[in-house]
Amino acid sequence: MAASEFHPAEQETTGDGLAARILRAIEGVLGVSAALVLAMLLFMVLVTVCMRYFFAAGFIGAEDLGIWLHVLLIALGAPLSLNSALAMRLDVFVNMLPERLRPVTQIAADVFTVLSGLILSFGGNEIMTMLGGISPTLGVPEWIRFGFLGVGGALILIVLLLQRIVEGKALPVLLSIAIGAAFYAGIPFVSVELDWPPSIFLGLIAAIGLVLAAPLPHAFLAAAYVVIAFGSSLPEPAIVSSTVTGISKFLLLAIPFFLLAGGLLTASGVANQLVRFAAAMVGHRRAGLAQTTLLTSVLFSGASGSSVANAAFGASTFQPELVRHGYPPAKAAAIIAATSVLDNVIPPSIAFLILATATNLSVGSLLVGGFFAGGLMAICLAVAIHLTVRDQAPLPRATSVQRWQSAIQAIPAFGLGVIVVVGIRIGIVTTTEAAALAAFYTFLLGIGARLGVLSLYAAFRQAAVEAAAIGLLIGTAGPFAFLLAVDDVSGLISHLTTVLGGSALAVILLSNVILLVVGLVLDIGAAILLFGPILLPAAVAAGIDPIHFGVIIVVNLMIHGLTPPLGMLIFVVSGVTRIPASALFKAVVPYLLALLVSLAVLCAWAIIF
Amino acid sequence: APALVRTAAARTTTITIASLLGDDKPETKIWVKISELVEAKLPGQFKFNIVKSGALGGEKEVAEGVRLGSIHAGLSTVSSLSGWAPELQILDLPFLFRDADHVRRTVSGDVGADLKGKLQAQNFVVGDFINYGARHLLTKEPVTRPEQLKGKRIRVIQSPLHTKLWSAFGTTPIGIPITETYNALATGVADAMDLTKSAYAGFKLYEVVPYMTETGHIWASGIIYYSSTFWGGLNDEQKAVFQQASTEGAAYFNQLIVDDEAASVEISLKNGGKLLKPEALEEWQKGAQGVWDDFAPVVGGLDRIKAIQSA
Ligand code: NA
Ligand code: NA
Repeated sequence: MAASEFHPAEQETTGDGLAARILRAIEGVLGVSAALVLAMLLFMVLVTVCMRYFFAAGFIGAEDLGIWLHVLLIALGAPLSLNSALAMRLDVFVNMLPERLRPVTQIAADVFTVLSGLILSFGGNEIMTMLGGISPTLGVPEWIRFGFLGVGGALILIVLLLQRIVEGKALPVLLSIAIGAAFYAGIPFVSVELDWPPSIFLGLIAAIGLVLAAPLPHAFLAAAYVVIAFGSSLPEPAIVSSTVTGISKFLLLAIPFFLLAGGLLTASGVANQLVRFAAAMVGHRRAGLAQTTLLTSVLFSGASGSSVANAAFGASTFQPELVRHGYPPAKAAAIIAATSVLDNVIPPSIAFLILATATNLSVGSLLVGGFFAGGLMAICLAVAIHLTVRDQAPLPRATSVQRWQSAIQAIPAFGLGVIVVVGIRIGIVTTTEAAALAAFYTFLLGIGARLGVLSLYAAFRQAAVEAAAIGLLIGTAGPFAFLLAVDDVSGLISHLTTVLGGSALAVILLSNVILLVVGLVLDIGAAILLFGPILLPAAVAAGIDPIHFGVIIVVNLMIHGLTPPLGMLIFVVSGVTRIPASALFKAVVPYLLALLVSLAVLCAWAIIF
Repeated sequence: APALVRTAAARTTTITIASLLGDDKPETKIWVKISELVEAKLPGQFKFNIVKSGALGGEKEVAEGVRLGSIHAGLSTVSSLSGWAPELQILDLPFLFRDADHVRRTVSGDVGADLKGKLQAQNFVVGDFINYGARHLLTKEPVTRPEQLKGKRIRVIQSPLHTKLWSAFGTTPIGIPITETYNALATGVADAMDLTKSAYAGFKLYEVVPYMTETGHIWASGIIYYSSTFWGGLNDEQKAVFQQASTEGAAYFNQLIVDDEAASVEISLKNGGKLLKPEALEEWQKGAQGVWDDFAPVVGGLDRIKAIQSA
């Protein structure tokens, strides 16, 4: 049973024209290459762990090599995600338009993709000559890592062109390419001198792309280039380097590994056993399986620090099972997205580590605070799930014999949780390494379930393409964050807080409003780095416990993973489940409200005590 | 292009500067100081946009931004720039420098001038050298002699020089980013690390590695640097002003670090941290010998290293 049965691979190219055949060949080569890179990445991280424990030896280039391979993986996988749900297109606005306008909006949306492809290829090329430097650990020129994305950009252009030809839209796509090329060539000669900071224009242009249903990462990149005309301080090669830098973090390698673990868990049939166990335990209750998903997410959160990884894992593991048990697909996916918020609140948490770094708060104290906040959020979500899931027919109550049997059958699945939790908790491995071990464990489960080479390949390819789509979005948010920082948008807000400078209630209210607005458009990590140090002094001055306030900052910003237009967790779940983001934003509302209630409780607590 | 009427303010050149830390840290204060010195001599000509808290990335990303034209100036430890100028690693050699004065004399002399030239060739114009302080050994259990390190897992920065050093003492080096280090030490992925005194208190590492042995094995040297494109656009008077401001800024920075270290030690001791003196210093130095031999060809030969040592 292949993973593709649950979430079919990106749309198959059909037709037997020349373009279709070339496209199929390119997609085939890219798919095999991406799967191979993922396999190499996994092998490398596992070898590092083995060397450390069995040979007491370190391999210092391992981390850099992992990062480089991850960038390569994203470059190879990004073109494959172009014309699927993985492209992260927000189609809600386009769908409101009359049918005859759609071809026009598609041409416009494709202009963004063309521009983005051109920026990546030519920017990557400029970096080749401008960057210089040799990687001290790998001994090869640094530009290679950036060059990967340059090749990725060219591939994006080729795949887009062929795809549209296959769809019978040769003329429209040529028009898109012509307009895109004209923009690309023309922008350096345009200079609009307005007093507004360039980051505002970047936001506006990206928003236009978003409304036209251009893939979000490409809207970001195209906008970052167009604002050069508005006085942006990021020249073309720096746009590309800032994108590559955004994905060059070892911790992010956990994403493809957890995706792979989820895919193989499902393909091997082991996920079924976990779900069967959950169903036997609480399936007869209302929303029993959804509650189990929540509980699993809480346990998972205790092992990982990345909500994106948790969302990807839940979306590939639990969402199909929830749907099979009668949940509407969008609601099932919304539950996954909402419960994955917990990951960055319940320790370990990447968000708290970033906050501690930016503000000098004690990591230990923050994590304790996160533990309680996470518990509160889980309770609120449990209540929301109980109230919202009514239409699902409960399963018959299982006998105690059935329960025991299902528990024993689920042992391999529990083993995965044990690896992740024990690995990190006892301190044998880092988060990334734990993710790799989890992936390897599920690989063994897949072998045990006699998965064929083709099914295993399908799982690796699937995980690679999904990770590429997610990685590209994380990277392309980089130039925006850079410009917001340069334009000192945070300084403006700092001024506002000082003007207000009153009671704890006033500071809490203003801070939450600011964070709610900021979180709409900013990456969580960047938002914490920019606004944590600014809001904290005002809170301390108003007599609020800094740790408690830090927890409020993180909880507030994490909730934004679920809000439009940039709900990262929604896009991740949408990417994996192929459910349009617009449907998910709607379906997640009850759970969003539940999380806002928990935020309100945390704020009230901070003011009263 | 619709060019609007240029106002007086448009004659001001805005410089984007990256600082890794917040307002109250030497990394940001130095730029405030430099901007004041420049403003006093060249009023209204430059606006320093100091982007704080690492919002523009870490040392390596800032250096890349400087080369690609998005950032005009920054600070960096020399080890982050060794991919461009490997010769810089002479300043990172373990147990080579006795104290801060020894470091200052070296970077003010021929060695410093030579390194400035190497960096200039890589499009980094050096304002001056700075000193982040010495790196010391941090452990969960007390360690005063090198043999006590055997078998421990030590967190290192991603650098062959550091890896080589700690391998020589029989430890297993693990590369862990600084943001993950606290957790890694708390859970036992690593049992030891090395860092400067200020950063030790800044990251509250006394909570997880309470023993600091004052090995002072590596002096963390750094530079104030400008992009060569920005520098090339300055006239001679402006260049002289920036050069002078950088030198005064460096002295100010070095003093801030010394004060910060004293305060950091006080905070650490108050929170359960313990200071230890290393024993058998010659044993420690012997462990470092392999690093000197390995890096001699890269940094200009063993004779040059010995000359610095005896200077
Ligand atoms: Na977590
Ligand atoms: Na959002």
